[in-house]
Amino acid sequence: MKKIILFLAVFMLITGMVQSQEKPASLGFRPSSYYTFSWNTTFTMGDFNKWVGNASPAGFDLGGRYFINHGLVAGFNLGWQRVSQSYGYQTYHGTDGTAITATNYRFTWMVPFQGVIAYHLMSDKMVSPYLGLGIGGDYMEHHLLVQEYDLYATRWDFSLTPEIGALLKFGFFSQWGALVAFNYKWTTNQIEGLDHTSKNLQMCNLKIGLSYIIR
Amino acid sequence: MKTKLLTILAIGMIAMTSCSKYPPSSGRLTEDLAVYTKYDVTANFSDYKTFKVVPYVSYINGKDSTTLTDANAMALLNEVSKNMVSRGYTAVTGATKADLGLNVTAIKNTTTTVYSPGWYWGYPGYYPPSWWGYPGYGYGYPYYPTYISSYSTGTVLIDLVDLKKPVGNTVMVRWNAYIRGLLTGSHSQADVLKCVDQAFIQTPALVTTQK
Repeated sequence: MKKIILFLAVFMLITGMVQSQEKPASLGFRPSSYYTFSWNTTFTMGDFNKWVGNASPAGFDLGGRYFINHGLVAGFNLGWQRVSQSYGYQTYHGTDGTAITATNYRFTWMVPFQGVIAYHLMSDKMVSPYLGLGIGGDYMEHHLLVQEYDLYATRWDFSLTPEIGALLKFGFFSQWGALVAFNYKWTTNQIEGLDHTSKNLQMCNLKIGLSYIIR
Repeated sequence: MKTKLLTILAIGMIAMTSCSKYPPSSGRLTEDLAVYTKYDVTANFSDYKTFKVVPYVSYINGKDSTTLTDANAMALLNEVSKNMVSRGYTAVTGATKADLGLNVTAIKNTTTTVYSPGWYWGYPGYYPPSWWGYPGYGYGYPYYPTYISSYSTGTVLIDLVDLKKPVGNTVMVRWNAYIRGLLTGSHSQADVLKCVDQAFIQTPALVTTQK
């Protein structure tokens, strides 16, 4: 995975530099659209944080944005995220006289998909900050691993994700750039029946990635 | 441009689909010891006052079975006895009849996976010991026993049977425990003995009061 990301970063940097050398100097360009591929770190919040308290760097996000009018963009985000934590030895008692003591491991696997609207400030500059809102859903699997046993529940949800971020071109005329964004996500997803109850799972995400900008 | 766009999309999709749902560190869970217990919820453990422990550990490896009396086996049996005494039961020896019998079995590996009533833990040809004075008697389960689908990870089983009230030619199992994971990780004798203690700790109903 690291090799893929490294290769992608070097490839884009080289391509961006070559292209910027070919163009005459000017004040830059206004993109018509751009695509992003980001590494996503998740910070669980609220009850979700009691299920898994660890921040998790296991996540990726693929997005596309299309300029509608000046700085206004519409697009999509597809992702993959996972949060996990080991809780050591714990004992569970059943009602039928059963009891199990084993290492307890919890994780949630998420596949978010959202439509996005955002407003870019200074979309023709090298650094273009934006405010956005994602509206969509998630497919989530909540797993409780008790040694060899895998107890899990799957749920779909509705989600809202306000986001602030910035598109940073590698050069005035480079079609490659970086993306840095931070968002808060509220969902209707919940965890029940896995020795834990959480409703309206919430989290924050830090996204750092690369973008390909189309004129 | 189209090629670059397809490239970033393809790499993105490959990266996402290549990511495993299960965290890599979750794979080591089976290396840890686990303690499973189940007891007969209809049993009143205060009805029983005395116990005997079979003085060896039955050992099953595939279709072969033998008995163990080495230091590790004795430590295991002593730990079981110690826990029974701490729960108020009195150990008896010799020809004295006991209310409860305990049998400890270690299983290294087997491909037999299905529990079948009448056969001890589903091992055709292997019978529980008749050491406590009921030769030819089989085990009966008043409840669906705790069991696992394979014993390839190293397992210690402890069965507590009712010698006070045999039903026909069957002694009923009132409590059973298994400790698994002995062969998948590196575990000391102390770790295993702690698991024996844990099996009793997680069964608070297994207690009696002496009168």
